[in-house]
Amino acid sequence: MTVDKQTDGEHSHIMLRLHNVSHRVDLGHDTLTILQGVNGEINRGESVAIVGPSGSGKTTLLGMMAGLDTPTEGTIELDGAVISAMSEDQRAQLRAQRVGFVFQSFQLLPSLSALENVMLPLELAGHKAPLQRATELLNRVGLGERLRHTPRQLSGGEQQRVAIARAFASEPTVLFADEPTGNLDKHTGAAISDLLMDLNREQGATLVMVTHDEQLAARCQRRLNIDAGVLSEPGVPA
Amino acid sequence: MAKSPFRASLRRDWRERDVRVVLTALIIAVATVATITLFADQLQRTLTLSASSFLAADRQLISENGQPVPAEWLAEAELRGLATAKMVRFPTMMFGDGNFQLVSVKAVSAGYPLRGQIEIQTTPDSAREMRARGPEPGTVWVGPRLLQLLKVSVGDPVEVGELELRVSGLLIREPDGGFSLSGLAPRVMMHADDVAATGVVQQGSRVAHVALFAGDEGVLTRFGRWLQPKLLPSQDWVSIHDGETLSASLEKAERFLLLGGSIAVLLAAVAVAVASRQYALSQRDSVALLKTLGLTGKAAGRLYVWRLLSWGVAGALAGILVALPLYAALAGLLASVLESEFALQVEPRALLPALVTALIAMFAFAWPPIRRLQTVPAMRVLRSEPGESRLAVIPDIAIAVGAMVVLLWLYARDVTLVVALLAGLALLLATLAVLGWLMVLALKGVIGGGSSWRLALVALYRHRRASLSQISVFALTVMLACTLLLIRTSLLSDWQAQLPEDAPNHFLINISPQAVAEVKDFWGERGHGINAVYPMVRGRLTELNGQPVRQVVSKDERVEALNRELNLTWTDRMPADNQLLAGRWFEPGETRGVSVEAELAQRLGISLGDQLGFTIGSETITEPVTSIRSVQWDNMRPNFYMIFPPQGALDTMPATWMTSFYLPETAKQELNGFSRAFPTVSVLEVDHIIARIQSIVAQVTQAIEAILWLILAAALVVMAAVVSATLQDRQREGALLRTLGARQTLLVRSTMAEFALLGFFAGLLGVAGSEAAVWGLQYRVFEAPFRMHWGVILPIPLVSALILALFGRWQLKPVLRVSPMLLLRRLE
Ligand SMILES: Nc1ncnc2c1ncn2[C@@H]1O[C@H](COP(=O)(O)OP(=O)(O)OP(=O)(O)O)[C@@H](O)[C@H]1O
Ligand SMILES: [Mg+2]
Repeated sequence: MTVDKQTDGEHSHIMLRLHNVSHRVDLGHDTLTILQGVNGEINRGESVAIVGPSGSGKTTLLGMMAGLDTPTEGTIELDGAVISAMSEDQRAQLRAQRVGFVFQSFQLLPSLSALENVMLPLELAGHKAPLQRATELLNRVGLGERLRHTPRQLSGGEQQRVAIARAFASEPTVLFADEPTGNLDKHTGAAISDLLMDLNREQGATLVMVTHDEQLAARCQRRLNIDAGVLSEPGVPA
Repeated sequence: MAKSPFRASLRRDWRERDVRVVLTALIIAVATVATITLFADQLQRTLTLSASSFLAADRQLISENGQPVPAEWLAEAELRGLATAKMVRFPTMMFGDGNFQLVSVKAVSAGYPLRGQIEIQTTPDSAREMRARGPEPGTVWVGPRLLQLLKVSVGDPVEVGELELRVSGLLIREPDGGFSLSGLAPRVMMHADDVAATGVVQQGSRVAHVALFAGDEGVLTRFGRWLQPKLLPSQDWVSIHDGETLSASLEKAERFLLLGGSIAVLLAAVAVAVASRQYALSQRDSVALLKTLGLTGKAAGRLYVWRLLSWGVAGALAGILVALPLYAALAGLLASVLESEFALQVEPRALLPALVTALIAMFAFAWPPIRRLQTVPAMRVLRSEPGESRLAVIPDIAIAVGAMVVLLWLYARDVTLVVALLAGLALLLATLAVLGWLMVLALKGVIGGGSSWRLALVALYRHRRASLSQISVFALTVMLACTLLLIRTSLLSDWQAQLPEDAPNHFLINISPQAVAEVKDFWGERGHGINAVYPMVRGRLTELNGQPVRQVVSKDERVEALNRELNLTWTDRMPADNQLLAGRWFEPGETRGVSVEAELAQRLGISLGDQLGFTIGSETITEPVTSIRSVQWDNMRPNFYMIFPPQGALDTMPATWMTSFYLPETAKQELNGFSRAFPTVSVLEVDHIIARIQSIVAQVTQAIEAILWLILAAALVVMAAVVSATLQDRQREGALLRTLGARQTLLVRSTMAEFALLGFFAGLLGVAGSEAAVWGLQYRVFEAPFRMHWGVILPIPLVSALILALFGRWQLKPVLRVSPMLLLRRLE
């Protein structure tokens, strides 16, 4: 694991650092720039909303920060580790230990019960008692009665609760969410937002989320705008 | 329905992975079945041709009533495009240089032989030559022994009846020489046109008129059907399958091909079934969407039937296009093995099974989900409905099993074969049910940890429905492939045991009691030891429990053994390859009783304790049946219908002795010295028959190996199809697991472990099912004893585990390649 010398001192309170991150995809005839020279820092325990128009590069940026993909240029540090220089397996290991995800389309495995879906990351991380931990979490998100139900038997809101339980299962230090309420109605969305913010506070995790939901964005401590691949923070000169 | 939406839907279909999987499965299925059927046809033609030379034709019509075969029949055959020839067989005296000898004459017409060749020598010392036709009119070929008996040489005149003929060659081998111990008189071959001039053949004299036919198998069959009602009881329509020596082996080979074909049909059905069902299930969302756009349930059903039919026909045609070059390649291989010419022949009839299989399998398996598509609620678009209930699957399974039975029956039309395969299948399903239940019980408590094996076990349990259905398909595949493998192995070892390299290939008959020791010494000194020497007494079975045997036996049972003299023998030890089926063998010192061959006993209704009366010369003896034995008729050793105890009833009868022994090709010239030393002993050379049988068995073996490989390849393809049917789910799951932090190595290992477990259990089940099927097949279809194949019980599951693990690895490739970003991009 590489740790930048200069950041050594601050390492304790900086969770994410982006330095000149650019991402381009080759379309054959020409290249498409999705992210351009993105810089920024996110502190430990902070909650950050990323907002911007459709197609502006939010999902791409989130994926880079979570180490699902690596940028064509620049460096990304996650919890002191330069993930942009790590191998796929090293990033996977890091994710297993410190990263949680919530997706817009839930991404539960349809053949597994709610309980089994939540147990999945625990088992991958080699948790001692995945069954208890998963049951606890499902109780916490209000699905204690639905442990054995499969995703098909749950409503969208309920599925997202399972997904949130799964995201927090392995006690991540940072949680990434891509439009977690995007597929839900206003009321359910609000409930899910509450749950997400509460759990995040309880666990003291860093939260980075992409959202179109103004209310949800407003509940975050910081707000980052992205437009055509360029990141900016209101009130902070670029 | 308007045309254009249908066409548009076909175009859209083409872009779908599931459709391409259905098509691939279909093409492979049709190609496999068509290749095997075409090849089996070809093999059968080749074998029949090769075996036909034993008849010197494809069919013989033998008339034993002294009357020639009616000319109209021969004319009719020629009209139908068959080649014909005639021959007359009769015993007569031959004179030469003041000596005479009883000979057995075969007078042949110009076309003889229609199949095979005659081997002759022009002088006793010249090389053997092959001839495609018999002797010219006015000449005669004689058995070598006759030169010594008549004291004549080649070129000398001999007389048959009133006609003088010139000896122009030595008759070494006739293609239809056959092998019968009653043909002891030296053989003579002359031209049929000379028969009348001899004046020997008269109305009512002991003469057999034989018509020979050769040509297209279908024409022959139809001609046979035309002929059959016209035949008198004394006339016999003979095909190669009626012959004793080869028929058993050939029949087994044909049955093996049938089995191979049936297994191909089942495998094909499985492949198409899995794929088409997958396709139908995958269409649920599209149908729901179309319904929101106003499509009615009925119209949706119709639309899919047409689509399926279109893809079915397209796939079937493509499959046939693939099969043709495959068949040509196999046929070429066969021809090169046989060093024979080959004519490719594609009969539309041979393609039918493939097409029927494809369409039946496709509809039987795709239809239930498609029918349910009609009732898919439009709501599905808005909200995914729960999957199908478990009960809904039961009629599906019933339809599927029904379809399998129908397919198998249509293809094989052999009750035992179908029942044996279905029994294996049933055992497999029952075991599967138990195993599924056990799996749920055993794995319930397992919780995945970081270890790949535990993750694999958890995955098996959590996807138990999918796991079980995959195991059943894999197990079925293993069972079918394994059945064929086991049958082939036992068939081949059977054949090898039946005619080993050193199988006796010469018979010595007519050895006088005084000469037995000398004959043994003669060959012993030359290093060709003789083991069993049997006394031989010629006699007829005339009475059964005091009644004339001909009255006891119903008229329509033509029992050949009653028409001629039997070779009776006595011995204290039962011939090694006989098997005691009832009663007991003679005790030392026992002098009464007779041991009867089982088939004859059955046909005559003889049971233990019955009194059998034999007429030997002018005497009659009566003995009780003390045992019933089975005899291996096709092993070319001395075989006897009736065996008496030593010092028993036969003791005082005039006997000659006989034996069989192995004489290698290199020692053939020793026979000349032997004939000079023992001029009265008949030497029956069957080495050429044995060599022919061995070469045919070798050909069949090659063919069987080819079929086996083809089936194994098809089995692999089926497995691949099943594995890839779940590819999409696995990609998604793999991506999710990776987002959740699964390392690639863990993913690879646990997936391989999961497939290895699937493969192992499937292998175990498959072996069990195949043992059941083989048990049934061995007993009833291949008539061989069954032994458990302990040797394969572990290796097969291990091999199947390995293969599936590799499949799993191969399938994982795209999963590892795809970026976990996919999930953020909402791949559903
Ligand atoms: N692999 C790729 N190949 C080509 N184009 C891509 C690829 N990945 C992303 N893009 C493009 O990059 C742009 C940004 O995509 P991204 O998914 O990050 O947008 P977004 O801000 O999340 O949009 P939305 O709010 O609609 O989800 C889009 O125009 C997208 O089409
Ligand atoms: Mg997005």
